[in-house]
Amino acid sequence: MPVFCQLCWSAIVDTDGRIYIRNWQGGILSGGFEKNPKPIFTEGKNQLEIQNLQEDWDHFEPLLSSLLRRMPQLETLEIMKLVNCPETFTPDMRCIMGESPSVQGYFVLAGMNSAGLSFGGGAGKYLAEWMMHGYPSENVWELDLKRFGALQSSRTFLRHRVMEVMPLLYDLKVPRWDFQTGRQLRTSPLYDRLDAQGARWMEKHGFERPKYFVPPDKDLLALEQSKTFYKPDWFDIVESEVKCCKEAVCVIDMSSFTKFEITSTGDQALEILQYLFSNDLDVPVGHIVHTGMLNEGGGYENDCSIARLSKRSFFMISPTDQQVHCWAWLKKHMPQDSNLLLEDVTWKYTALNLIGPRAVDVLSELSYAPMTPDHFPSLFCKEMSVGYANGIRVMSMTHTGEPGFMLYIPIEYALHVYNEVMSVGQKYGIRNAGYYALRSLRIEKFFAFWGQDLNTLTTPLECGRESWVKLEKGMDFIGRDALLQQKQNGVYKRFTMFILDDHDTDLDLWPWWGEPIYRNGQYVGKTTSSAYSYTLERHVCLGFVHNFSEDTGEEQVVTTDFINRGEYEIDIAGHRFQAKAKLYPVASLVTHKRRKDDVELSDLHGK
Amino acid sequence: MCVCPGPRRIGIPVRSSSLPLFSDAMPGPTQLFFPLIRNCELSRIYGTACYCHHKHLCCSSPYLPQSRLRYTSHPAYATFCRPKDNWWQYTQGRRYASTPQKFYLTPPQVNSILKANEYSFKVPEFDGKNVSSVLGFDSNQLPANAPIEDRRSAATCLQTRGMLLGVFDGHAGCACSQAVSERLFYYIAVSLLPHETLLEIENAVESGRALLPILQWHKHPNDYFSKEASKLYFNSLRTYWQELIDLNTGESTDIDVKEALINAFKRLDNDISLEAQVGDPNSFLNYLVLRVAFSGATACVAHVDGVDLHVANTGDSRAMLGVQEEDGSWSAVTLSNDHNAQNERELERLKLEHPKNEAKSVVKQDRLLGLLMPFRAFGDVKFKWSIDLQKRVIESGPDQLNDNEYTKFIPPNYYTPPYLTAEPEVTYHRLRPQDKFLVLATDGLWETMHRQDVVRIVGEYLTGMHHQQPIAVGGYKVTLGQMHGLLTERRAKMSSVFEDQNAATHLIRHAVGNNEFGAVDHERLSKMLSLPEELARMYRDDITIIVVQFNSHVVGAYQNQE
Repeated sequence: MPVFCQLCWSAIVDTDGRIYIRNWQGGILSGGFEKNPKPIFTEGKNQLEIQNLQEDWDHFEPLLSSLLRRMPQLETLEIMKLVNCPETFTPDMRCIMGESPSVQGYFVLAGMNSAGLSFGGGAGKYLAEWMMHGYPSENVWELDLKRFGALQSSRTFLRHRVMEVMPLLYDLKVPRWDFQTGRQLRTSPLYDRLDAQGARWMEKHGFERPKYFVPPDKDLLALEQSKTFYKPDWFDIVESEVKCCKEAVCVIDMSSFTKFEITSTGDQALEILQYLFSNDLDVPVGHIVHTGMLNEGGGYENDCSIARLSKRSFFMISPTDQQVHCWAWLKKHMPQDSNLLLEDVTWKYTALNLIGPRAVDVLSELSYAPMTPDHFPSLFCKEMSVGYANGIRVMSMTHTGEPGFMLYIPIEYALHVYNEVMSVGQKYGIRNAGYYALRSLRIEKFFAFWGQDLNTLTTPLECGRESWVKLEKGMDFIGRDALLQQKQNGVYKRFTMFILDDHDTDLDLWPWWGEPIYRNGQYVGKTTSSAYSYTLERHVCLGFVHNFSEDTGEEQVVTTDFINRGEYEIDIAGHRFQAKAKLYPVASLVTHKRRKDDVELSDLHGK
Repeated sequence: MCVCPGPRRIGIPVRSSSLPLFSDAMPGPTQLFFPLIRNCELSRIYGTACYCHHKHLCCSSPYLPQSRLRYTSHPAYATFCRPKDNWWQYTQGRRYASTPQKFYLTPPQVNSILKANEYSFKVPEFDGKNVSSVLGFDSNQLPANAPIEDRRSAATCLQTRGMLLGVFDGHAGCACSQAVSERLFYYIAVSLLPHETLLEIENAVESGRALLPILQWHKHPNDYFSKEASKLYFNSLRTYWQELIDLNTGESTDIDVKEALINAFKRLDNDISLEAQVGDPNSFLNYLVLRVAFSGATACVAHVDGVDLHVANTGDSRAMLGVQEEDGSWSAVTLSNDHNAQNERELERLKLEHPKNEAKSVVKQDRLLGLLMPFRAFGDVKFKWSIDLQKRVIESGPDQLNDNEYTKFIPPNYYTPPYLTAEPEVTYHRLRPQDKFLVLATDGLWETMHRQDVVRIVGEYLTGMHHQQPIAVGGYKVTLGQMHGLLTERRAKMSSVFEDQNAATHLIRHAVGNNEFGAVDHERLSKMLSLPEELARMYRDDITIIVVQFNSHVVGAYQNQE
C-alpha cells in the first residue's frame, strides 16, 4: 500500500473485528485471528518452506470486511500482498518452555501463540536462568513444558483444540472457562453414571472432572450466555452441594488425582522419600502424612499426601497436573536401584471422596466395621471391604478439612462401590457433588492447593505449614538448609486469608484470582484463589502478603504482627472492598455444630 | 409466482352439490379430494383454500416492496441525526416497523423443518480405501400430506454385492408405500441370492439356527418398520425363496439382475394381493393387509454393484443421472420412463392389453380409467381384481373397510381386469467416471423442477468448493474495496450451498423456495413451509429424494481393468 500515514502508532487492535492494524514501511499492515482457522502440521518441514502458503482471499474476507468497517477510507488503497503464513499454537494458549521430562538437558521454548514478538524477551530471560541455575527466578509453571504429557500430543486432539484456541486470542476470556474441544479423553468409569445425573464437566490434564450437578428441574444458561465476571448461574447449585457436605454426605469423583506407588525390598523407599519430602515419613504403617516435595530453595515442587501402606511401600497422591512433573522430579532424584520401584498407578484407581458428617454412617454400614474417630482416627489409611468389593483403600481425609473419607477403589469395583454408596447413602441424604463445592469448602478452610496458591517459589513456612516440616527428623532433605535459614531470618511473604466485608455477591463483580491486595492503602500482593463461602456468607480470597519498604520498595520480613496490624482492601476491577485478614481458619468452621433450634422441616427432605 | 395446487394422484367423483362450485374456483382438476373429506368439511376447505390462494396471489408482489420500504426508512444512522425531542417519534416508528404483520418462519425454523427428515450415509472406508463405487448417499423428504405418503429405503446387500436404494410414492394412504418400503428389498435380495445361500438360509430356519443377515438397512429414525406384520411378511418371503429353491434345476446359472428385479416386484405385488384375499385371524393384521392392498404405491429402485447400475421403475418417480461434461458443466441422463399418460409407449401398451372397444375408456383425462395417474403401481387391487373378488373381500372384511367410500367404489368401465401391473421397467447403465451422482425422487420434485436444473443444482452443490478457483492478486492493481466487493459476492454464492449438509435437503430448498430467477427466496420458502397441514397438499406434493454419489476413482479403476 502506498505511503499514506506518517503517524507512528504502534498498533491498533480491534478485538470485535478480530484484526490488528499497524504501520509498516509507511503503509499499513493488517491481519487478524479469524474464527475459522485452518490447522496444518508442518510435518518436520523447514520453517522457511512453509513460510509462504498459497494466498486465500476467501478466508481473509471477514478480516478485510472488519478492516474496511473500522477504516472505510482504506477502500481506495491498492493491495500489495496477502501473506499467508502459519503460526504455532498450543492447546491452552500459553507457550511451552523448560526442560524435557525425558531427555535431561534438552530445553524447549516454542509455541508462542503468535505472541513471540512481545513475549520473546521475557521468555528468553527465564529460559536462560533455567539453563544456568536449574530454575527460573519467577514462577513459570503455567508455561512449563511438563504441564503437558504424551496424552496431549495426539494429532486429532491438537487439530481440534488449536482451532478452538486461536480464535480465543481476541475473545473475552472469562474465569472458569472450559475448552470445548478435545474433551472426554480420560474419564472415570463412573463418567456415564454421573453424566446421566446432570454432571457438568471441566477438564484437567485431559481428565474429565465434575464441576457440579444440575438438578433435573433446573436450566442453566447457554454456553455463550454463561460467560460472566459476576455471580455465575451455578451459584445455587453449588450452594446446595456445599450444604449437603456440611449437613449430610456428598460423594465427589476425584479419580483424576495423580497416584504413585513407591516400593522397595528394603528401606530404600523410606530413605529416598525422607530425602525428597520435608515431613517425617517414618510413621507407623497406616498413617497418612501431608508433605511438600521441595526444591533447594525450599519451594514447593509438589504438595502431596503420602500413605504408608506397609513398611516398604508408600502411596502418594498429588494434584492432577503433577503427573508428568512429579514423575520427572522423582526419576531425576531416585538412584538407579532395581530394588526400588516407582509406579504410576493413576489409572488403576477410581477415587471417591465421601464428604460430610454422615460419611461415617454410610461407610460403616457398607463395611460392617466401626468407622468412628476412635476406631478410625483422622489421617489414617486402611484396606477394607466396601460392599462386595475387597481391597478398597479407605483414607480418613477429604482434602477440604471436612470430616469424611477418600476411597481408592480398583477401577473394576468402581461402579459397584459407587452404586452401593449411593443406595445405602440415600437414607443419610447423600448426593453427588462436584469440584466447585470442594473448592468453596477448601478455600473457606484456608487450604492451599498446589498450582493455584503454591508454586516452586513458596515455602511451607510462608503458608503456615511449619507443622508439616520436620527439620529435625534425623536426616537431611532437599530444601532443609533454605528452610533453616528462613526460620532464622523470617519470611518475606505470608499466605493470608481475606474475608470480604462489604462485597455484594449479587451485584458486585466477583473476585476470581489475581486481584491486588492493599494494606493500609499500600499494594502488598495479589490473591491466588478465591471462593464464596456459603457458611460465612462472604467471599474468601487467599493470597500472599509482602512487606515492601516504603522508601526503597525492597522486600522486608513479614511478621504475624505485620499481618494482624493492617487494614486490608481487595481491589476487584478498580473497586476496593474491605477485607479481614486471617492467618488461621475461622474457628467456627472447624467445630461446626448445628444448634438444636436450627433444625427445620426441610432437613427431613432428601438433598 | 403463482403456485398451482398440485393435482391429486387419484381422484374419485363424489356426488355433491358443492362440487361444481369447487371445480370452478380451483385451477386444478376436479378430482381434488378423498372420501375421507365429508361434504360438510368441503365448504370449509374450499373457503380457506380459495382465500389463501387468492391472498397468495395478491400478497406476493405488493408485499415485497412494502416490506423493503419499511426497512429502508430507518437506516442505522438515523439515530445520530435526529434531535433528542424526536426520540419518542422514533421509538414509535421503530415499534411500528418491528411489529410483525404476518407470521413468518425464521431461517433457523425453516432449516429445522427442512432438515427434520434428512439422512446421510457414507460408505465406510477400510484402510483409508473405499472400494465401493458408491461414496454414500443423502436422502430427505418433505411432507405435504399428513401423514406423508412417500417412503424411502436404502440398504446394502450382505450376501451379494451391491447397494439398493428406492423411493416409493403412495396414494390413497400410506399403507402400501410403507409395506413396499419394508419388503421390496428383501424380495430383490432373495431373488439375487445363489441357490446354495438360499438353501443355507432355509436350513437355518428349519433347524432354528441363526439366520444369515441379508440386508444392512440405512434408515432415518423416522423410517419405521411394522412390528406387527413382521411375522406375516417373513412367512410370505420364505414361501418365495422355498419356491426359488424348488424351481432350481441344479445347473448353476448366473443370476440376471434385471430378471431378479422384475421377479421381485411382481412377486411382492402378488403377495400383497394374496395376503389381502386370504386375510388374517388377527383383526389388526387383517385390516392392515387390506389397507395395503387397497392403497397403492409406485416404486423407483436402483441397484448399484460396481459399475453396473440397474434402475427398476414402476410408476412416475424418476431416476436421473448427473453427468459432468469435460468443460465442468452438468447434464442429466434419464434412467427411467414415467408410466403415465405422457408416455406414448405406456398408452400403447394399455390399449394393446385390453379389447379395442375399451380404447377410449382405459385412459381418460390422462388417468387410468379416468382415475389413476400412474399406469403401473403396487397394490391398488381395485384396478387388478375382478369385480366379484373385490365385492367378496370387502363384504367379508372389517367394518372400517365397508364404511370407506373409496374402497367400495368400483372404477367405471371396468371390464377386463387387471388394468394395472407392478411389473417394473428395468434400465441398465454402465457407470463411467463422468457419472457423478444419481437422483432418485418422487414426482413431487419433478413437477416443480426441470431435470436439468435438478442435476445442475446437485452438481454445483457437490462440487461447490472446488468450482470456485482461489483468487490471487498477482501483479494486478486491485484496491481493497474492489477485492472486498469480489469476496462478498463469492461468499454470498457459497453461503446458500453451505447452509445444507445434505444434497437432498439442498434440492428440496430449491424445489420449494425457488423464485422465478431460480434462486432460493426465503420469504417464499417460509410461506410454503408454514402452510397448514390441510392446505399444503394444494401447493405441493410429498417430496422424497435420494442423491447417490459415485466414487469416480473406483469407477475409473473398473474401466481400466478391462
